[in-house]
Amino acid sequence: MIWKTAWKNVWRNKVRSLVVIISVTIGIFGGIFSVAVMNGAIEQRVDAAINEEIAHIHINDPAFRDNYDVQLTIPDINRVLQAVNKTPGVKAIAPRVVITGMANTATKSTGVQIMGIDPAAEKEVFRLYETTLPETGDFFDTESRHNLVYIGQDLAKELNIIRYRVDESVIESLAGKELPETVLEKLTPYMGYRFKSEKAFKKEMKSVLTLKEQHEYGKRIRETAWSFRERSKMTLTFLDRDQIQTGAVFRIAGIFDVKNNMYEMGQVFVRNQDLMNLTGFVENEIHQLVIKLEDIENTGPVTEALSNSLPGLEVMNWKEIQPDLAMMTDMVQKFYAILMVIILAALAFGIVNTMLMVVLERTKELGMLTAIGMNKKRVFSMIMLESIFLSLFGGVVGMVVSRLLITFTATKGINFQSYEEGFEAMGYSAHIYPVITPAFFIMVTILIIITGILSSIYPALKALKLDPAEALRTE
Amino acid sequence: MKVLEINNVHKIYNSSEVRVHAVNGITLDFEKGEFAAIVGPSGSGKTTLLNMIGGLDKPTEGKIMVDSTNLAELKSSSLIDFRMRNIGFVFQSYNLIPVLTAKENVEFIMNLQKWNKKERDERTFELLKAVGLEDRVNSRPSKLSGGQQQRVAVARALASKPKFVLADEPTANLDSKSTETLLDIMEQLNKEEGITFIFSTHDARVVKKARRVITIEDGKVISDERKKV
Repeated sequence: MIWKTAWKNVWRNKVRSLVVIISVTIGIFGGIFSVAVMNGAIEQRVDAAINEEIAHIHINDPAFRDNYDVQLTIPDINRVLQAVNKTPGVKAIAPRVVITGMANTATKSTGVQIMGIDPAAEKEVFRLYETTLPETGDFFDTESRHNLVYIGQDLAKELNIIRYRVDESVIESLAGKELPETVLEKLTPYMGYRFKSEKAFKKEMKSVLTLKEQHEYGKRIRETAWSFRERSKMTLTFLDRDQIQTGAVFRIAGIFDVKNNMYEMGQVFVRNQDLMNLTGFVENEIHQLVIKLEDIENTGPVTEALSNSLPGLEVMNWKEIQPDLAMMTDMVQKFYAILMVIILAALAFGIVNTMLMVVLERTKELGMLTAIGMNKKRVFSMIMLESIFLSLFGGVVGMVVSRLLITFTATKGINFQSYEEGFEAMGYSAHIYPVITPAFFIMVTILIIITGILSSIYPALKALKLDPAEALRTE
Repeated sequence: MKVLEINNVHKIYNSSEVRVHAVNGITLDFEKGEFAAIVGPSGSGKTTLLNMIGGLDKPTEGKIMVDSTNLAELKSSSLIDFRMRNIGFVFQSYNLIPVLTAKENVEFIMNLQKWNKKERDERTFELLKAVGLEDRVNSRPSKLSGGQQQRVAVARALASKPKFVLADEPTANLDSKSTETLLDIMEQLNKEEGITFIFSTHDARVVKKARRVITIEDGKVISDERKKV
């Protein structure tokens, strides 16, 4: 009866209740949706890091990470591989030779980490190969008697392997992409030009296009003018197993794009076969085992099991290799909760205000209820329930709206295209798919109920202090 | 059988400037089945007396015994419970819960007392029938006339089978036709079911119906007449 009465009381002053409900709805929606976007960005980052960059667990010599000494290969590799294979939870293993070296083209050079890999094993662990840019080649699928190297888009730009050109086909293709005539006209004078680097091209575009045009069409123009000549080459120089400088010319097998500048700039992949010929390493001389697990949730236990079965080797999981990721995933959960608490705390004041009005307005009725025998506990519960209903109703609407919008945006994602460079510099994709867990909704529901309870206490205490005889006399 | 004994009751209100002796030594007994009116001009102390009888206010001095319970000795929480079980209230301005229907208003106290649904439904229907509103069971107060609302209030007051019903100026807001209907219903309930009614009033029509008229002035009983039936 008290529940029913409280619920009906909520709808007594519809406008006032709706104002509170709408404010709760907006607050909850805003909170949940922002959390979903942040959460989506972080989950994508973790997913990319694990599936494209680092996998779950690395095994190497304890001193190897200090300065990537080429001589620190994993001793007794067959025994180690056997032990790893036997460990439950391990899905795939990719052995790697890791050598630090320089990547050079005629105009530029930069330091890189050269990964000597077995493409087939690598594909079992990483889906880096899926990020190969169209028309740049593939992940060592095409057989070649030449040395091959698979590099990142940013490195390709840095080394001027990717260039920019403006020609008839570019202009035509841009016209097809609905670029306004005025912009196309500004590009026509560059017909036949080649730009050695993205920087030079951007600079030139900046000088002819307005800020608004750059913002709106810049990316499309760059993507269209982007040019990669097949069978481009680069030189890699590095130390062989006897610490003697060596090097060779490599053909570009393919270019990958992982939305992470640092990774694209820092890692190049070559077939271990090619590397062995150049360095003198023999089969089974490798520096690192990269392991993919069946389930990321088992990271802790499997790391421990491997450490125990492989004394004398360093076993590190992704949280240890990239502590920033671990911090992100662990800390953001707390941050989300704090964000929701702050939003609800602000809403609570509105609810307190409304409930005070309710008590004031209903002084006479509350006096009557006490007179005819409704005890303090029940009066208190009734006011509290009204407050909970008010906040929960708004909260549920807010949660439903956010759930709908999250579902809607999760299929297509939200593209923060204009901030793409910034996002990618931090390793994040600018195309975010909002994600939220059911557990978060449960937590929010509990927080809303707590808010309802807390904001009813003061008004309910006011109601309890009413003297029935006096309250009945009020008009 | 005595249902209510008022023994030398005083009520003094002390505010910073004035000291008001609202009730000044009243002694009264009420038998089961009485139909009594307390009359007197405004400020005579009749509402104060009624509040004390109903346990909404405590006497400064004196005793109010309902059956064998001294109201002054009850703690405020047990007093609320005592009111719920023993005293029915009818107020001048009806005071129904506006969001509930006539039926829900009547069964409100039965709900608080945790009656089961079957008993509740039976009693509610019986009471609404007694006040002539069996066809308005699902109407909200705003859809009822003043007289109808007050009849719902009477039904509500009787819901928990109280020892007596206190009605503070029940007809003050009603037109004469509604007053008459209400009084007839109360009289009938009094005669047929032996329910004790005590009301304060200065309405001549009510006084005419009452079988006992207690007149109060300046906080004292100045006359207490019983009419022969």
